[in-house]
Amino acid sequence: MAELTLKDVSYIYSAGTPFEKKALDNVNISFKSGVITGLIGHTGSGKSTLVQLLNGLLEPTEGTILLDGEDIWKNPKDITSVRFKVGLVMQYPEYQLFEETVRKDIAYGPTNMKLEKEEIEKRVSEAAFFCGITDEYFDKSPFDLSGGQKRRVAIAGVMAMKPGILILDEPAAGLDPIGREEILGGIRTFQRQTGTTVIIVSHSMEDMAVYCDEIVVMNKASVYMQGKTSDIFAQSDKLIEVGLDVPQITHLFKKMRSMGLNVPENVFTVDSAIKATLLALEKRGGAR
Amino acid sequence: MIRDITLGQFFPGNSVIHRLDPRMKIILTVVFIVFIFLAESAVSYALMFLAVVLLLIISKLPLKPVLRGIKPIMFIIVFTAVINIFWTKGDHLLVEWKFIHIYAEGLLFAFYMVLRIVCLITGTSILLTYTTSPINLTDGIEQLLAPLKKIKLPVHEFSMMMSIALRFIPTLIEETDKIMNAQKARGADFTSGSLLRRAKALIPVLIPLFVSSIRRADDLATAMECRCYRGGSGRTRMKSLKYKALDFIFLFITVLMCAGVVLINIYLPVLVV
Repeated sequence: MAELTLKDVSYIYSAGTPFEKKALDNVNISFKSGVITGLIGHTGSGKSTLVQLLNGLLEPTEGTILLDGEDIWKNPKDITSVRFKVGLVMQYPEYQLFEETVRKDIAYGPTNMKLEKEEIEKRVSEAAFFCGITDEYFDKSPFDLSGGQKRRVAIAGVMAMKPGILILDEPAAGLDPIGREEILGGIRTFQRQTGTTVIIVSHSMEDMAVYCDEIVVMNKASVYMQGKTSDIFAQSDKLIEVGLDVPQITHLFKKMRSMGLNVPENVFTVDSAIKATLLALEKRGGAR
Repeated sequence: MIRDITLGQFFPGNSVIHRLDPRMKIILTVVFIVFIFLAESAVSYALMFLAVVLLLIISKLPLKPVLRGIKPIMFIIVFTAVINIFWTKGDHLLVEWKFIHIYAEGLLFAFYMVLRIVCLITGTSILLTYTTSPINLTDGIEQLLAPLKKIKLPVHEFSMMMSIALRFIPTLIEETDKIMNAQKARGADFTSGSLLRRAKALIPVLIPLFVSSIRRADDLATAMECRCYRGGSGRTRMKSLKYKALDFIFLFITVLMCAGVVLINIYLPVLVV
């Protein structure tokens, strides 16, 4: 389990030029370890900048980023080792595949870590398992796979480095519902079995409600809210204020309540909605 | 980092130079180059320098980026200067040490050569690249080359290819940046090790870049096909170029300067004033 903390972090793009743009403004945040944290925010709120700062692709203009209590930029030459500890899957990661076979591509990260051959192979099959890549794909070219499969291979490539913290920027963007479930479900299984700290950036409130334990809301270059998923989605007004939303099902249940139906207020996932509806029906039946 | 590379920098603006017809600007650039190579005496060099300064003033461009344009050719400038200083023979010996002889003429020639190169680069870039948008530039080239259609040269296709290439340079730079970041996140190291190691480290960037470029080209071709693109024949344009009085005034001045330099070369052929 790894601990990631940001202290007074600011980041300015093109500092000192007329195109200067403050992407992060004095951000203080600590990511809870051993859980899945969802990072949400309107376009341009600084989410992508934040995740790139977390694994040292960008260096903060001001402030420090602490990984297990140590400044990640203490030794700039050693930043690659930070990137092994904080794995980042960028947006549309399927475009980064390059090797001849799926196996070799997943092994690229672990090979860069200079691990033993057996260890690499072990990690490749583990990561492939979590991402739902079966053995028959191992010797295929990654370019022959479908979009969703490519995406899963790319995610496996980062998982195989066994980072203490895994960050995924929009891992399910542009996929069909089944593809989304396969990827996010795999990430959750991976998290539950390894205890890795996971941070997921997403625009889908539905996915966040189902898969995340914690939520961080970004707005205008700073942290707007942070807390348990249920606590955050219970404050729908505050979310709508910054151009975000709550899951559709939550809207539906609010509407049902306002129509005088006796259903609970805070329902965020379809599963819990089904349970709540059944419970409400039972009560009604009992009353009759 | 990679984003900092500037290519054919265009500075949007509305100065007299910006408003010139791109075709005329290309012609003017050619005449200007001829003018620079005709200059042979002190007076014409002064005239040449003055012309560039005037161009800079009326184009209203910021001085800094224009001067930065000289940086890439610094090596050529220094090389030319050194060659001229040490290898020009003359009557006025300044320094003599072992096999090194430096003549006053050498210094003067070196100075003129450097001035000539600097004026050539800044003058042409003010006239063309800094003040003409890439689209206008390719339009201008296309129309100037239009007569070549008579001998069955695919002029329109050529200029379309050029516009597309220019259009995709920023996209490719952005894409490269993204892929490099993705591979860095997987532990790629582009900055250390021997030259061979670094070249090898680029393979994980180049392959995805090629793949996505080909995919992009394919998508673009389909999109153009969907909008019934059939090449140049029978195609009209949204913005048709028209010469204005201003264009001819500039042409007149430039030609006049050329003639002036020829006359100066004949009647005032002195190197030092």
